[in-house]
Amino acid sequence: MAVNWKVKISDFFRSPSRFVSSKSADTFLAELLRELRDDRVTNNTKVYLLSPLCEQAALLCPTVSIGEETVLELLSVFAHCPVPWVEFRSSLLITLTSVLICTSCVSNKIHVCGDFLDLLLQIVQDTSNLHGDSVLLLRAIACECLQELETCCPGLLSQRLELIGGLWTKETSKLHQPYARLNTLVLKNCVYQLAMDPGSGDDYLKLLVGENTVVNWEADQRLAQVDKDSAILSSLIMGHMGTVPILQTGRDCKDLRSVLSTTLENSFLLSPLCQAAVLHRLMEVVAMVPVVRPSIFRAQLLRMLGTSEVCLLHSTLLMKCAYTDSLFSTDDEGFILRRLVVLSQHPLLSKPEKLFFMDYMLHFPENRPISCGNNESPPVLLTSQLACTLAPTLLNDYATMLARFNLLLVVCQEEGEKDGEEGRGLVYLYEHLGLLLNIMIRGHSREIAATFFRAVFLFLVSFCHMERYATSIAEKLCTLYHHQTHLAPHILNLAEQSSDLFPECNWSARLCRALQGVVIEAPPAQFTLTDLGWHLKVLARVAEEGQIPQQTTLQLLSKIIFTPSVCLTSNWRLGNSVLQLCRRLMTHPSLDSLFTSLANVLQHLICYYGDADIQDRARLYYSLLTTLSKEKLTGIIKQGLREEGQNIKHSLSCIMADTERLTSVLTIQQTEKPVFRLVELKYPEPQERNEIILESDSSPSEEQDSAGLEAYRAQFKDPCFGSQITLHYQLNHTMHNLSCFDQVFSIHLHFSLMDDTCEELCDFNVPCLFRERRSPVVKLVLKPRLPVPITLSCSAIFNTLNGLSWYTSLPDMHVLFQQTFLPLVVPTTWGTAVKLGVFNDIWDEISREEKADYATTLFCGQLQAEELGSIVEKQLLTFIISDSANQAELKCVFFIPPQFHILLKIISEEDAVHFNVVTDNWRLLPHISSFIGNLLMSLPEKVTSHP
Amino acid sequence: MSFRALWIITHDKGENASVRFSRRFATVEHRAKKLGGSLYVAVPEDSTVLRLLLTELSLSDPHKPFVLLRDDCRRCPKTPAFELRVGPGQETLWPVVVITDGSLIVACLGLVDVPLEPRPPLANLLCVSQGITFLLGLQNFLLGSGGKVDNELMASRLETLPSVLLQVCPFGTPLDVPSVGALAMYSVPITAGNQKQPVWKTGFHRGRAVVNTALTETVRCMQYGDPTKQDTWDVYGTVMCKCEVEGVLPDVTVTLTLPPNGSPLQDILVHHCVTSLDSSILTACSVDNDSSSFSGPYKFPFSPPLEPFRLCGYTSQVPVPPILGSYQLKEEENHLLVSVTLKLHESVKNSFEYCEAHLPFFNRPQMGSVDIKVSSGHVDVSKEKNLVAWVLGQKFPRSRDVSMEGRITFSGSTAGPADPICTDLTAYVKLYFKVPETTLSGCYVDQHSVQVYSSAKPKITTSRELQSKDYFIWNSTSTAPICQLLL
Repeated sequence: MAVNWKVKISDFFRSPSRFVSSKSADTFLAELLRELRDDRVTNNTKVYLLSPLCEQAALLCPTVSIGEETVLELLSVFAHCPVPWVEFRSSLLITLTSVLICTSCVSNKIHVCGDFLDLLLQIVQDTSNLHGDSVLLLRAIACECLQELETCCPGLLSQRLELIGGLWTKETSKLHQPYARLNTLVLKNCVYQLAMDPGSGDDYLKLLVGENTVVNWEADQRLAQVDKDSAILSSLIMGHMGTVPILQTGRDCKDLRSVLSTTLENSFLLSPLCQAAVLHRLMEVVAMVPVVRPSIFRAQLLRMLGTSEVCLLHSTLLMKCAYTDSLFSTDDEGFILRRLVVLSQHPLLSKPEKLFFMDYMLHFPENRPISCGNNESPPVLLTSQLACTLAPTLLNDYATMLARFNLLLVVCQEEGEKDGEEGRGLVYLYEHLGLLLNIMIRGHSREIAATFFRAVFLFLVSFCHMERYATSIAEKLCTLYHHQTHLAPHILNLAEQSSDLFPECNWSARLCRALQGVVIEAPPAQFTLTDLGWHLKVLARVAEEGQIPQQTTLQLLSKIIFTPSVCLTSNWRLGNSVLQLCRRLMTHPSLDSLFTSLANVLQHLICYYGDADIQDRARLYYSLLTTLSKEKLTGIIKQGLREEGQNIKHSLSCIMADTERLTSVLTIQQTEKPVFRLVELKYPEPQERNEIILESDSSPSEEQDSAGLEAYRAQFKDPCFGSQITLHYQLNHTMHNLSCFDQVFSIHLHFSLMDDTCEELCDFNVPCLFRERRSPVVKLVLKPRLPVPITLSCSAIFNTLNGLSWYTSLPDMHVLFQQTFLPLVVPTTWGTAVKLGVFNDIWDEISREEKADYATTLFCGQLQAEELGSIVEKQLLTFIISDSANQAELKCVFFIPPQFHILLKIISEEDAVHFNVVTDNWRLLPHISSFIGNLLMSLPEKVTSHP
Repeated sequence: MSFRALWIITHDKGENASVRFSRRFATVEHRAKKLGGSLYVAVPEDSTVLRLLLTELSLSDPHKPFVLLRDDCRRCPKTPAFELRVGPGQETLWPVVVITDGSLIVACLGLVDVPLEPRPPLANLLCVSQGITFLLGLQNFLLGSGGKVDNELMASRLETLPSVLLQVCPFGTPLDVPSVGALAMYSVPITAGNQKQPVWKTGFHRGRAVVNTALTETVRCMQYGDPTKQDTWDVYGTVMCKCEVEGVLPDVTVTLTLPPNGSPLQDILVHHCVTSLDSSILTACSVDNDSSSFSGPYKFPFSPPLEPFRLCGYTSQVPVPPILGSYQLKEEENHLLVSVTLKLHESVKNSFEYCEAHLPFFNRPQMGSVDIKVSSGHVDVSKEKNLVAWVLGQKFPRSRDVSMEGRITFSGSTAGPADPICTDLTAYVKLYFKVPETTLSGCYVDQHSVQVYSSAKPKITTSRELQSKDYFIWNSTSTAPICQLLL
């Protein structure tokens, strides 16, 4: 059983949403809860069982009512759980809290929340130490639960502030930490509420010393308002303090002040992570109450500025951000900045910490900021001299190198703008690029290549306008390309991004012109096939630049194409690159001068290129080129290019080269969740019912009834006879769906079997499925090999309106035992008497002969005659063979493909109904038993069986 | 300051990557949904997160030279927080704080509790620094003291992780870093009295007070032997403490002292158990030329936790490096002529625990014959035949000068290791040494200055040592991989 759960839960976590939408998940939650109540299950297993509910509460409890029921169940599990099982009890509390919050039970003020809150408060206050140390953990967890409830529903505990404050003051064990956190949070939320409520003013005192009343779920309207406002969930300390509500109070705020200073004094005793969080809350309180000056924090500052804990120092920096010059002088500011420079390279700190501090400097909250906005800009006090201590070196790891490079760049840029001259820092950075370039030219790893191009891009962003650097970098990149042709995608990416981000510099055109020079000057005889591919790609990019003359490019192209070995390669990719270049040339402004040579190239491709697809496309281009006017040609090709960028239309690959867009069109995307499901059609149209219509000319007549059984058996000589059942399903959308799947086309359904109980199924095609239209019917023809329930898994491939193809899997389909039932398969010409004869013959044979597979059994159910009537009417009518001679006995036959029978004689006795059953396959007995059991399930009486 | 989800991933150079552990915090996600509004992006399944993370970390498709999503030059991974591009449009998960160490990746997605647009700077999100602290702790927890991935240890730590998280991060808001001791966090006996217990103290000591301090200084160096390039070196130190003192919150003070000619301590970082700090200690800063010439004593009052901890760390600027060296390589036909000289500075104690000079050779075949003479110590050749180790032993000779001359041929059939920087004659000697009972700055902990406020007389032991790290001497006949910053 335990193994089973392990598999199930890991299945669940692999893809929770898919698991939940599959059929087996319907009962998942119920089974989980049942297992949790089972005393035989171990403590550890139960903790594990809670994990799906704890992590995916909203998914497993989609509605408030399910959430409420689940909470009630869990509360009863908690009540019956032995006290020493602390870990399980703690996990239960956490799960309960998660379910309550995620199902919105708390915000909807469901009654059970009140009970849970009382339970938590009771645990928190239980200072008796009867159950040993472990009870401390439970109290700590209960405290965390309260904290989480208050975080998600601010104001929930505002009436309990005094109680919590009291607990915190008295506590000396480590529990003071959760109490301190809870206390500051509730305090902050109280102050926020009061600040939002203009009438409150000095009343905060009442709150701090307020009466310890029970939380009234209906009464407090103000709480409800705050709860709806998600602003209170946000941090109030974030750089611009304009949104902080202000609590107007009298001069004296002794009580509040003393609470704050006691918390601050004791913060030293908390773990650094909790200290940071508590300080953050206190900062928010102080920001809302102007009477309390930020200087209250001063006593802690030195300790926190000297700390090696990044989170503690960060909360101090947030103070700088929140209070600026009301807590930090200009000298302090200079000190903090120098400290940040030091920490960004401190040998005792880890790489992520250093990166964080470097990033912080670029968003430094200055007391007197000059620029505003979110862009990276160094503070005024960060001079290039200071920043030069963070100069990048080759021995840095790549992230650090880039961060340092970027920092020094922005500082140099800022100073350059001020002084109008280039500083030493800039020279250094440029030399550093040169060092990287040397490494690149000699050969390199993948990561260095990416880092180098990123550094170049950063440099260009800041200094592309400086002619000297812009030219020189383009030249250097050409040298690099000359040595390492395979870096073409990096170089093209750089050209693309720079023309995108700073087109005004026209740097990418400059680079392209230089690259063209490199390719043209190289001797074509020495090109390898790979080099050639890259050169063509580069030239295609160059040809996009209208002002660059293309004669030389075309000369080279002709030279290449007329080399016999090139056309003989029949390389499709190479052909594609050639065509891509041709296409760009066709849209070039100087097309008139290129026309003849280009036409020659295309003509040559048509005649001699070794790949038929390339030949065809060359033919198309040739006809376009020779028949269309220049404007039309440009229009058509540019339109194709435009559509590459916008994801609108399903374009044909013959107009397009291999681009990202094309790749995505040609790739089958996978949906995250199932998009469709198949639902069994309970009442198909009459002509679609399970029927086997036979046209038999060798059928026995009414008189030949004695030969009935042989004739019946003779039919099975044809192996296909009676071997299949037809089921009808409706293809529907699942509940949660994206609108892009509302209209889908060409759905190709594929079915696969979990085991070999059945023959392979044919695929099924549905032309389209619209959400607002009637669902199409899917007819499944099954050929069972064994008479058992069948499980099918199903997947679908389909197209959406935007031209993309998708793959989705559907929830598994379970074909029940009774769905495989067929009536007795006989030709239509056979009358009832013949069928009755066959029935009796089979019955007698099974009852008489002692074959190993034969079995006889009896089921009894307490049924009234009318109840039996309704069952027969609803479920068995198609299978009944009427027997006018014996009205009291109902005869019923189920044929189960491939060749099995279940025969029933149903006799109504005084107080019970007897189901006499015979079958020619005893393995069917358990299925028959559950089938008959299900038939009677709606009735309270028990069914007994006498095999 | 909460996390929406947490992941632990292992991989082998980008291949065979798998999510070993993941946790989603339902209540934080609930808040994220409320805060994010229309900008909310749900956390995808683990398999998706894995793929996206590997792309961001440049680990995906290790055999493809260029993948646009991975290598785009506009995307610049220079912060500890990444952005995972979940959907085709603007749908991104941010900030995902990631810490990697060899084959281990730990990551968490922080909750943004300020308006999402315009994108706030990382500096405004407490969850980022909390994430770094928490993940560094998690990484230590998973790797153990070895600092390297040990599969068995990690498997057992992963097994206990749910119980540990129950205590240190039950709802996605980190309360403490994961540690082996976290399981016993609330099992510490409660003591009488009004003093609140420090949460970071795992137990109480009974018996005689013992204070043990160990000062370790580490020196790093780059010597180029090139008059146009300035040699650089720096020193940093740490003081590790192990204190066993009675009481809930005992007071201990450790003082670092400098001799009259010592180099002042700078950039001091202290443990969070240090109760107060003098501003003159804190303001001594290596990047500030005008900083005051405060030269101690450096007093650190603190209340110690029970286990060993790093009381403080500092850097210092010493006037000369402890060992000056020169390295010259000449290429002749099929062999290299090697010449190395080392000189131990007179101020450094000539008594080493060990001292070795390593000469690695990259981008060459394996070494064939090695014909090397040394004036002191002996020479070993590594098994892989790509490194010459000069073992100098415990002492330099009286003259404090040692030298090495010789020739090496590279005639092996298999290629040695590759390195992007050390091509052609660009090469280095790396020094490994440790000198007990000395420091370069001169700094020491005076045994008599350690104050413990307790009734019984405490037992106090102190020690110090100097060690090297990244101590490079570059070949002066080739260009060293550095450009000169003229200040």
